[in-house]
Amino acid sequence: MLTLSIEKLVVRFPDLPVPALDIDTLALEPGGRMAVVGSSGSGKTTFINIITGMERAASGEVAWNGESLSGMPEGRRDRWRSRNVGLVMQEFHLFPGLSAEANVLLPQRLAHFTLPEDLRERALHLLERVGIDRPGQPVETMSRGQMQRVAVARALVGKPGLIVADEPTASLDAEAGAAVADLLLELSSEAGSTLIVASHDERLIGRLQHVLRLENGRIAA
Amino acid sequence: MFHFILADLRRNWIGVAIVGLLIALATALGVGVTLQERALRLGSARAASAFDLVIGAAGSETQLILSSVFLQPAPLPLLPHDVLTALRRDPRVKEAIPVGFGDFVAGYPIIGTTGNAIEALGGLAEGSGFQHLGDAVIGAQVTRRIGDSFHPFHGLPGQPGEVHADIDYRVVGRMAPTGTPWDRAILVPLQAVWHVHEDHGHEDGAGETHEVSAGAADEDHGHDHAHEHDHESEFGAMEIDEALLDGENPGVPAIMIKPHSIADAYNLRQEYRRDATMAVFPGEVLTRLYGTLGDARRILSVIAIGAQVLVAAAILMVIAVQVLQRRRQIGALRAFGAPRASVLTMIWLEIFLILALGIICGFGIGYAIVAALSARLSQASGVTMPVEFHAADIWTVAAFLCAAALVTLLPVLIAYRQAPAQALRS
Repeated sequence: MLTLSIEKLVVRFPDLPVPALDIDTLALEPGGRMAVVGSSGSGKTTFINIITGMERAASGEVAWNGESLSGMPEGRRDRWRSRNVGLVMQEFHLFPGLSAEANVLLPQRLAHFTLPEDLRERALHLLERVGIDRPGQPVETMSRGQMQRVAVARALVGKPGLIVADEPTASLDAEAGAAVADLLLELSSEAGSTLIVASHDERLIGRLQHVLRLENGRIAA
Repeated sequence: MFHFILADLRRNWIGVAIVGLLIALATALGVGVTLQERALRLGSARAASAFDLVIGAAGSETQLILSSVFLQPAPLPLLPHDVLTALRRDPRVKEAIPVGFGDFVAGYPIIGTTGNAIEALGGLAEGSGFQHLGDAVIGAQVTRRIGDSFHPFHGLPGQPGEVHADIDYRVVGRMAPTGTPWDRAILVPLQAVWHVHEDHGHEDGAGETHEVSAGAADEDHGHDHAHEHDHESEFGAMEIDEALLDGENPGVPAIMIKPHSIADAYNLRQEYRRDATMAVFPGEVLTRLYGTLGDARRILSVIAIGAQVLVAAAILMVIAVQVLQRRRQIGALRAFGAPRASVLTMIWLEIFLILALGIICGFGIGYAIVAALSARLSQASGVTMPVEFHAADIWTVAAFLCAAALVTLLPVLIAYRQAPAQALRS
């Protein structure tokens, strides 16, 4: 469980006159659930990139449990993310040619020299939990809804304290989207993880405690 | 990690196979040029090493060596008969082997020589040496059996000529393999060659045997065999007239010498470099030929290197495009928590595997092509061409692999500098 605190965060891109993100102060309690909403170009993706350490904030402070991401060099941010963050993205970024199980375990395999024994069991358990009957099935033969469910299992396999989803339902039909939304909420609360979801999906947004509305990189009232 | 590499290679197997094949063929081209040149050089040097010195009548040194060592037919001027006599008695000479060129049978040259040639060339594998004028000893590659008999064919192979129907040679022995053109030769007593062709000389009264090697390509004699027919019938059983070697004989085009010592070799060379005769170390002439061969190799090498550079450039492009296309993949893997170093090691390893496999296959393909080519050349010329890698070639392979490793590092380093978010955006 992680507590987020943001102070005086400003993110600028070289070719833009207005900051892409400008947040004076923001906090999220451990285990808290927050939706990030706003039109496209409002800074949602930049916000996600900053709080997961994929991009570095040039000025201001972004900290999880008091540990500042802003001060970490890239390698340490990668390691921190590997330990603490489970990511689900709109484009699933599954690797064709590998089975569902291999996809779930791939980042862990690359992060650990030898895969911890219990991780494989956990992966199989999670795949069962998200409704994938055949863990050996190659991902490219799956439906989009199934693929996103495999991606959810991949995000959770490392028991992260923070789950971040970037438009997890946007590329799915209503039914598959609802199933993925259910799984995200259920599994993150079971794990006690903090959950941050960037989304346009009103049904998903309505089920989260907090809503962070962004407009031109600033928090709207 | 290997799961992922294998899955990726399997998924793109057509592209992987094409890139691998291109690399293999480019490598094979360079390896082939080097190996073939080496095989030619070693093969010809070994063929020439049996004799230290060749003495012939004044003329072209290169032609003398080509004709005597490599048994390439050509009309050579004849040495006066006293040269052979003198050399046979010379205390500095261990073996003096006269070589008389004459006819052919089924593309094999018939070489007139003396009995000691057989021992000097490595001895008999089966059968016996010359006892009668019509006895023939065949080289290891000649497809005849002991007991077979044949008529010599007058003229050069592949050209119109005539058969000496009245002359009958009988195979009595086979030499052990030597790896030289002598494996394709048929040895007969020198006196037999003189006998066959002297008759023509007497008939026509032209006496041209003093200008042209016995019997080479003079068309105008030998149209009147019928007159001599009864005389030729006993040819096979006639005694070999050893005295003729030291007497009034028509002469020979070349004499191969094994001297007792190196000093003797230089002495003899000095002594026989006079107006009418020349003495040549085969090695000398070969070195000159290698010089020419070396130029040809340099040209081939430049062409091969050019082709390799083009292929390398094309492959570098393919790799760069590959890695750039995979930026999203790299970014995603890092976003999901895979360390940057292991993601990039994986991608580098995958590309390097393709290159390394291509290079190693290329060495194999190059070797196979040269081995096949050399086998055919050996069959045609009798010169055994050793196709071999040297210890130093390991360093060439290592250098190739190092270059491949470094080159593939380049696009990977470009990817290394990218933040995952940046890679995902593109």
